[in-house]
Amino acid sequence: MEGVSSIGQDLLEERRRRRSAGDPRITPEGREILLRLTTGDRMDEFQAALDSDLEDDAGLERHSSEDA
Amino acid sequence: MLVIDEYLAVRVLVGAHPSQLDPDETLALPAYRHYRLLQRVHAPGAGQLSQLLSDADRQAIRRPHPEVLQILDPRPLLDEAAAITAAYRSAGLLVGETLAAGLVHGRQLWFGTSRNVGERLAEIAGELGIVINVAEPDS
Repeated sequence: MEGVSSIGQDLLEERRRRRSAGDPRITPEGREILLRLTTGDRMDEFQAALDSDLEDDAGLERHSSEDA
Repeated sequence: MLVIDEYLAVRVLVGAHPSQLDPDETLALPAYRHYRLLQRVHAPGAGQLSQLLSDADRQAIRRPHPEVLQILDPRPLLDEAAAITAAYRSAGLLVGETLAAGLVHGRQLWFGTSRNVGERLAEIAGELGIVINVAEPDS
């Protein structure tokens, strides 16, 4: 029983490790850019880009920081 | 399953999993929020992801690995989304689909910044009993 539990725990831990590592296709350069856009000095630029789609598409309601 | 926004989707794709999110939960991005990211991947011009990222990076955003990030199928959510947009006349498809996803998946939504929540979404979420969580970047 203990062995089965350990196998399950090992599988879960390996799954957590893979998921926390992110997508392996992301390059170090891409990671740096994407982090700057979503957590760093380029967040304003990223938000403006997301909001521009709402302005261009009548089906998607504008809900940017301007109305927050 | 936790429903997340574009910011958190990108953060988990690059391996910067927010500590506030349960590491065992499946993370899912509503389809129209994925569409907003895809617009950035495909749009031409300086400053767009199409110009900033390599093909491999773009592929990871276009077709995320399902173990890392799932894209919610919009079809089962459309009726609920339409009901919400009809009831709250100023709510659009993006807001309606996000709220429908939150209703179906644990009555909670996760955003990477409060700037991406929006006043209208927050108001309706409050009325529907959907908890808005924000996992701001670590300062």
